[in-house]
Amino acid sequence: MNTIKRMLIIALLLCVLAPSALADLDLPYDTYTYDYWGNVRFTPAAYAPVSSVSGTDLTYNGEPVGAFSSPQDICRSPGGLFYLADTGNNRIVVLNEAMDTVINIIDGFELDGRRQTFDAPTGVGVSLPGALYIADSQNRRIVALNPDGTLFKVVSNPQSEVLEEGYVFTPLKVCVDYAGRIYCIAQKMFEGIMVFDTDGRFTGFFGTIEVKISLWEKFWRRIASKEERSKQKLFIPTEFTGIDIDDDGFVYASNIDTDGVQAVKRLNPRGEDVIKKGPEENLGGDLWIGGYTQYSGPSKIVDVVYRSDGIYSLLDSLRGRVFTYDHEGNLLYIFGGLGTQRGTFTTPAAIEAVGETILVLDAYRAAILVFGETEYGALINEAVALRYDGDETKAVAKWEAVLRLDENNELANVGIGKAYLAAGDNEQAMLYLKRGMNKSYYSVAFKRYRNAILRDNLGIILTVVIALIIGLVVLFQIRRRRRAAGKGGNRPKRPKYGHDGGKAVST
Amino acid sequence: MRSLFSKERWKTLFYTVSHPADGYYWIRHQDTGSVWIAVLLVVLFSLSFSLNRMYASFVVSDVDPRSVASLQELGGVLLLYLMLCVGNWSVTCLMDGEGRFKDILIAVGYAMLPMIVTFNLATLVSQIIAENEEGFYAIILIIGIGYTAMMMLTGIMQVHNYTLGKTLLTLFLTLFAVFIIIFLVLLIFNFITQIVTFFQSIYYELIFRT
Repeated sequence: MNTIKRMLIIALLLCVLAPSALADLDLPYDTYTYDYWGNVRFTPAAYAPVSSVSGTDLTYNGEPVGAFSSPQDICRSPGGLFYLADTGNNRIVVLNEAMDTVINIIDGFELDGRRQTFDAPTGVGVSLPGALYIADSQNRRIVALNPDGTLFKVVSNPQSEVLEEGYVFTPLKVCVDYAGRIYCIAQKMFEGIMVFDTDGRFTGFFGTIEVKISLWEKFWRRIASKEERSKQKLFIPTEFTGIDIDDDGFVYASNIDTDGVQAVKRLNPRGEDVIKKGPEENLGGDLWIGGYTQYSGPSKIVDVVYRSDGIYSLLDSLRGRVFTYDHEGNLLYIFGGLGTQRGTFTTPAAIEAVGETILVLDAYRAAILVFGETEYGALINEAVALRYDGDETKAVAKWEAVLRLDENNELANVGIGKAYLAAGDNEQAMLYLKRGMNKSYYSVAFKRYRNAILRDNLGIILTVVIALIIGLVVLFQIRRRRRAAGKGGNRPKRPKYGHDGGKAVST
Repeated sequence: MRSLFSKERWKTLFYTVSHPADGYYWIRHQDTGSVWIAVLLVVLFSLSFSLNRMYASFVVSDVDPRSVASLQELGGVLLLYLMLCVGNWSVTCLMDGEGRFKDILIAVGYAMLPMIVTFNLATLVSQIIAENEEGFYAIILIIGIGYTAMMMLTGIMQVHNYTLGKTLLTLFLTLFAVFIIIFLVLLIFNFITQIVTFFQSIYYELIFRT
């Protein structure tokens, strides 16, 4: 009796003291991914909420900062500072790297000796030298400030033949590349991202989204009269929603794709989309988008962040999810959800990353939510980074650890399979690549395996083939002789079609 | 049922596959065919179809094996077989067709043999196929389906003593007949449920009022 009691107590203690392996269950959202067939596959949590930062927690020069009001954008400078566009309060709040201290609050600047303020600044971007670019949306201008707060330049009222007469420039998001070119997403500008050179001159559009018209819609427009046509909806491309620039100067731009197929583009300096799509051929967020509830429909991607090593994350405001893809377009993990609990969003507006930490800016809650990687997320991030650098053999250890946490992980299986393939172990490679459902690499392994078998057994195979041919020839000869001897059961010839003039005779 | 174990009947089956026109002619005029063998072949085809979907290598097949329900597929194939035959019978009856319902069942059933062979062969071949060699797999399937279609056409043509043009016309009308059958069946189901609910509501009314 005593021993049983003791065992029970030990079991109870183990339950209580067990490390955080079960802690994932406390998260208010599911972490999942889609498998080869597009089925939802739940995985261990990749990211867990760490903390959240709101204006009410912060003070500046001894005075309370006050709650943020509908903040729309957050940006991290190369120096490690965070710039938050506090849109409703018409100011930019600068936070330190740990996000616990306010370093500066920018609410205006000097222009020609006169004090200027912002009106609904919706976007911020920082250039490599540290200049701050603000999309001052209702003042119809982009303001660039030096790190010391003095004016660097103002970009407003772009002039060009391609712009319509009386076009009102309303910048929403802004980004600066290494050469100082400004990329700007403007309201109601469907032609693409507006690009300005270092002097602030408008140089052209970038990365136009093409309009998709189905054959059916074309047909209806064809037969409609002019009057009817004028009342139909216009076919205009969707606007871009978020923008980020990677280390090589490629622009990642997100947009709302009504088909849910491709919500992000990677634009090369010529403005062409060079993003790689994974096996699903889908970069649009969720795959299961059917139904008629308020949570159905394609993901509404509102922002994109390039993280590192080819990994980028998309933010969906419809279901509050963060989608992470690698440079080959493979879906790594999906986490997040809508709600009011710790770690969920109400109206996610912007996403930013620091190292492996992900920050999501929630406009309605007026807070920055900080997510840290879990063991599972860290392993995937590291393995993908190693693969990105071409270190596939080093990545194998990481992938094996991933498999211990999530044995159906297709990427991990493919990663290990590729390593076996490189090492020349075709059978093991086939096993893992099949689990990872990777046709092309599986085929490489399988061809090698098949050739090895053929090479080793060439003698036997050739003998069997020759024996078969001889056997068949002999058999045919025998049959022919038999038939010639009149032994074959030949049937009488059937008459031609319509032999009895259509009169059926039942036999 | 006994015809399943008759050597002569099985020989006729293989003779029909190698000589469709002749074979079907004698099936019609000397009763050398067997309905049981025909039904068995349809069942076998359904099984081969499900097997192919389940076990064809993932290099050539995008079907999720977990989504294959072989019994459901068997039911579907048998139903389609029955509807095709009934549809064809009802059309050819009106168009001077000489075939009996039995002959139509046999004509369609025997035509399944090439598909049974090629579907299983394709499943086997898919196991030794790598990417860019899917063509071999596809050509096996195409040959099987083509041969079956050819046999079915010849079979219908022979048992009804039709010309090719008339056969194609009746096949087209058969499709219509099948749609009408489906429509009528759904209609009847709908009516029956309405009648049932009517009596049900009377019953409930009586129960609750007393």
